[in-house]
Amino acid sequence: MKIIIFSLISLMLSFSALAQEEKKNVIYKYKEYEVIDLGSLEIKGQIMAPGDLTVNERERQSFKRSLLEKNNFDFENRREIENLR
Amino acid sequence: MKYLALLIALVVAADASASAKGAYELYQKDKSKDRDKKIAHELIEGSYYFSAIPYINTYLETNNEIDKELEADIETLVIKTGTMAVLNLEEKRLESFNIPSISLILGTRLFNKDQNVKAYEILSRIPDSHQFSTEASLIKGTIRNLERKNIEALNLYEQCSKKAGNLESSSKGEKLKRYYNYLKETCIIRSARVKIEEKKYEEALVIYEQIDKRSYKWPYILMDQAWANYYLKDYNRALGLTVTYKSPLLESYFFPEAEVLMALSYYNLCLWDDSLKVVDHFYEVYQPKAQALKDILGKNKSSHTYFLDLYYADTKTREDLNPFIRNLITQTRKQVKFNLDLASLKAAKDELLLLKRLKNKNDFTETLEGNLDSTISFISAKINFYIKKEIFTFINEIHKHSFSMFNLKLELLSKKRDDIYNAKALAESTRARGSDVNVNRKTSQYFFDFNGSFWADELGDYSFGLQTACRENKVAKK
Repeated sequence: MKIIIFSLISLMLSFSALAQEEKKNVIYKYKEYEVIDLGSLEIKGQIMAPGDLTVNERERQSFKRSLLEKNNFDFENRREIENLR
Repeated sequence: MKYLALLIALVVAADASASAKGAYELYQKDKSKDRDKKIAHELIEGSYYFSAIPYINTYLETNNEIDKELEADIETLVIKTGTMAVLNLEEKRLESFNIPSISLILGTRLFNKDQNVKAYEILSRIPDSHQFSTEASLIKGTIRNLERKNIEALNLYEQCSKKAGNLESSSKGEKLKRYYNYLKETCIIRSARVKIEEKKYEEALVIYEQIDKRSYKWPYILMDQAWANYYLKDYNRALGLTVTYKSPLLESYFFPEAEVLMALSYYNLCLWDDSLKVVDHFYEVYQPKAQALKDILGKNKSSHTYFLDLYYADTKTREDLNPFIRNLITQTRKQVKFNLDLASLKAAKDELLLLKRLKNKNDFTETLEGNLDSTISFISAKINFYIKKEIFTFINEIHKHSFSMFNLKLELLSKKRDDIYNAKALAESTRARGSDVNVNRKTSQYFFDFNGSFWADELGDYSFGLQTACRENKVAKK
């Protein structure tokens, strides 16, 4: 049993040492510069949208608030009777 | 003259004493089922009106018959004590009696409880020839008015004003004359209001001209007239009418609605800044005062005497508490019901004094005194409640119109923004303030230009002369 445990631990240690070595060796390289010639680019297809910029005209939303209206005198008439007797 | 007055007082006192004695004898000896009716009659004969109320009520609770004498007694009680006459009787019970005085009380009670159909039916029982038919016509007209049956309403209002006019001429007492005049003018104003509701503004304004400037009702019709002019698009006259409430003579009449109408009139003249000023003034003046009144109400809501005491308090005490309280009390004092209740309270107190002065005290007079004490407490609580209700209604009015003002302010800000977009604001700032050219006037109308000072004979005839700042109108005028 002791032998199995010992061998497992030693195996794990050797794997981790290997992994560390591999990380150190990775080298990333980027392009120093790249030239894109837009003039020579050719796109194949059909123009679907109108050429100029347009905005759909719509009337400005106006919210009508209810202002005081005097359609009847119910309140005053009732109060007059209440105040009579 | 002094001796004559003394003699009359002695005769009245002797008569009252005799009737109290008669009532006491009946109380002791009479065991018939008509005993309460007879006691009440004796007390009424002796001018103990409030003392008679419990006996009339007790009799009517158990008896269905009302003879001529009892009918006359109940009528006297209604005239002398108002609706107190049959206070303890329920509507179901009152319905079974078909006499004008009870029909009027029951009809009024039902109307105040929103039972209009039943109220109309009961009030229709009162014959046209009876003196109470004037009030019955007024209430019936109001019911038809509420139901939007305008032709019927107009007929009833017309009947009411005619009957009240006849009674005013035939009455001898000054108070009674004044009461019938009040009823007559109320019915005339109602006809004008129906015309406004029918959008016949010109006709309404002609009817309003029947009301004398010295009338109790006159300050109230300024609002109605202002609305009629507003709908006729005569905003300058509407402004002139609403500004009248700011005169020192009408200081105690304050209508939050008048402020809204003023702001609306400026709004319709496209004078946004003027309108905004009125709106801001409304919030500055009315809202803190409404809050103060609300606090006073809240603190004393359970008291049965606080507001009545306030009425009796001196002007300074009321003024210190809240300046609006003084004005509200002054306005309340002008209401018929308040005055009737106040007169009842005084009469009941006098009656109690008279009873206490009687030489022969017995268990009967003690019962009468006990009953009168309760009646006085009841009337006091009723008046107290009435003032409280008036204050409450006023606060509600302010809240209601605050909402209208809020909406108007939003509209005004929106209009001002539009003007800024259209570069119109600068042009408006150089406008002329007013001119006689902008005043509309009919042959029957007076016109006084308002220069910031009020003159009593000019009140109600002011008109502004502001030129409209609305673009369309200006183009149309050119």
